Amino acid sequence: MATVITTAQPAAVTRRRFSPLFIAWIIFLVLMLLTGLYSGLQVLINGLGVTNLTDELPWGLWITVDLSAIGLGAGAFTLSAAVYIFGLKRYEAIARAAVLVGLLGYSSAMLALFVDIGRFDRFYHPMIYWNVHSVLWEITICVMLYLTVLLIELFPVVVESSQRLKRIKPLNNLAHLLHRFMPIAALFGMGVSLLHQSSLGATYGILTARPFWYSPSAPVLFILSAIAAGVSLTVFVTILSGKLLGREMVPADILNNVVKFAGFMCLAYVYLKLWSWAATNYYSYVPEQRLGVEILAQNTPYNFTFWFGEVLFGALVPAMFFLWGRLRRNRNALMMAALMVITGLVINRWNMTLSGFVIPLDWSPGVRDIFPINQYQPALVEWGVAIGIIGYSWIAFTLGVRFLRLYPQAKDVKTGLFVHAQTD
Amino acid sequence: MTQTPTPTKDKAAKLNILSRREFMTLLIGGGASLVLAATLSEPLDTFASQILHNRARNAHEGDPSYHWGMVIDLSKCIGCDYCVWACQATNDTADDMRWNIRVEDTTPLGDLFHVTRPCLHCKHAPCVEVCPVGATYHRADGLVMMDYNKCIGCRYCQTACPYGARQFNWKERDDVNAQTPEWGQPEVGRRQRGVVEKCTFCVHRIDAGLAKGLMPGVDEEATPACVNVCPVNARFFGNLNDPESTVSKIIATMPTLRLREDLGTEPSVYYIPPEGLV
Repeated sequence: MATVITTAQPAAVTRRRFSPLFIAWIIFLVLMLLTGLYSGLQVLINGLGVTNLTDELPWGLWITVDLSAIGLGAGAFTLSAAVYIFGLKRYEAIARAAVLVGLLGYSSAMLALFVDIGRFDRFYHPMIYWNVHSVLWEITICVMLYLTVLLIELFPVVVESSQRLKRIKPLNNLAHLLHRFMPIAALFGMGVSLLHQSSLGATYGILTARPFWYSPSAPVLFILSAIAAGVSLTVFVTILSGKLLGREMVPADILNNVVKFAGFMCLAYVYLKLWSWAATNYYSYVPEQRLGVEILAQNTPYNFTFWFGEVLFGALVPAMFFLWGRLRRNRNALMMAALMVITGLVINRWNMTLSGFVIPLDWSPGVRDIFPINQYQPALVEWGVAIGIIGYSWIAFTLGVRFLRLYPQAKDVKTGLFVHAQTD
Repeated sequence: MTQTPTPTKDKAAKLNILSRREFMTLLIGGGASLVLAATLSEPLDTFASQILHNRARNAHEGDPSYHWGMVIDLSKCIGCDYCVWACQATNDTADDMRWNIRVEDTTPLGDLFHVTRPCLHCKHAPCVEVCPVGATYHRADGLVMMDYNKCIGCRYCQTACPYGARQFNWKERDDVNAQTPEWGQPEVGRRQRGVVEKCTFCVHRIDAGLAKGLMPGVDEEATPACVNVCPVNARFFGNLNDPESTVSKIIATMPTLRLREDLGTEPSVYYIPPEGLV
């Protein structure tokens, strides 16, 4: 079979054979997947008793995975909105990759939740039993709807990438039809994303019984950090795959603007975060809140991870990298900064989930400290499932870059030619 | 729009999402089918009302003329744990997931006292509000109930409950109930792995008792096991809606407190404080 070569543009070298590095990487990922599969089956067969979760600390590593994955998938709605709603057509050069990252983030979260709920056979219950008053219900419905939007957004890319699929007439027609509905899908996707990304923060923010969590800023902090880190992850995988393939995946000016946007988002996040901290921990005195933070300081690395992991290296330093022209032009520095934002988000989601549980409830009428401080280390099987889910998203993205027309304007660095035929 | 026949026209055509004609067709077609579906389809209507009123659907359970409540006298409680064990036997709970627990507490002057805590059956129950599937709900008589067949085991209710009153079935139960037969016999079935459970105020006794014409809180057969077993009569049960019930009279005449009143959950369990506490 000959590769289809369009005559209008010189199609550049498409490597047909897999390099040893690529094969080793795939083997590594398959091992991760197998670990996850084995651990996941352990949980599904034996129940959640095999985890280190307790009635006092019922959410742990998997909720962190699930919150992080959804947060890191936020680049999809942001860049889709830029392309299809705000008319920045050129940003499609990176938006497709963002959509794939988003799809993998959301499906990873679904996988994590599937293992995490006690009755996985009832995963569909939120669809038929509604409690419209529950933020978690709203999140579940929005996430399902948005996953559908992402599939619709990716479908034309898949069909377009395969000559074989393209030749199947109904598929091709459907792809074209869906492509025309893209602005509506993007608008809808932005709506449900704004909703559930914030509601994930509200999951904690509305819990009046836990002063550490109870906060009106939590929903906004969640969406700001999600946009910053979601865009950062898209930038990171774009630069990384470009380096590995010897290509410039996205035109430099487009990448620059996207990075600048992420930088401003980081600053907005830090701004609200610092005010949120100051309002509850510095300018006011709420005994329960102070006691909680003290307990965290004494029993966990919360203070260090908050100031260094979330604020300084999670947002401020990378914002500087993103916004200062000289640093931004250095692709290695850019990758490092993007990685910092991503790590910052994961640390934040872990801190958010765990800290509220570490501080014990206090409902007794007397003065004695009755309830012990709750401790948690994820069990091996929990790590196994998490590794499997990460492996799944990595392998899917690797194959996506390899087989999909994910970066329509990718150029070979050596020859300076477009890798894919340019249709416009 | 300019009519210049340049490549820009092609682009403009591509950017055009829907023509007016297509848009109208969609609008009219979609609208018509919606109207048709809404008026003609009985099953759709039932389905819609089912999902939209999921939480309210259980409201027919229980009689609204009652509001079941409990009074626990902390000045009387000697910390014997009988109520803990009777509950465990009656509701067949495991040692590490008791519905009714006892903790030791101290007054500001340092005097020891005991607090026992069932589910408080709050009027504004955080667990009911957060449950994504409405598996935990209010009955008309104030009870906060669990539908074990709806629960997906997400454990958000455990996260939201200010009193730690909810237990999750982490594993399939295969333990022998340590409190039987000494403290009673199981009156309800064991719960499945993967769902959350909690104290029910012995709802099976209340409902069966009322059907027989008995009064919960007065007739032992219709009263929660923890109340019956208390050797010092520190627990009272009854209808808070009836000013003549024992619980209403105690609340009207004695100083009482409810746990974490500041949260506005309005529990149905009142405590008579021990000496030296408020």
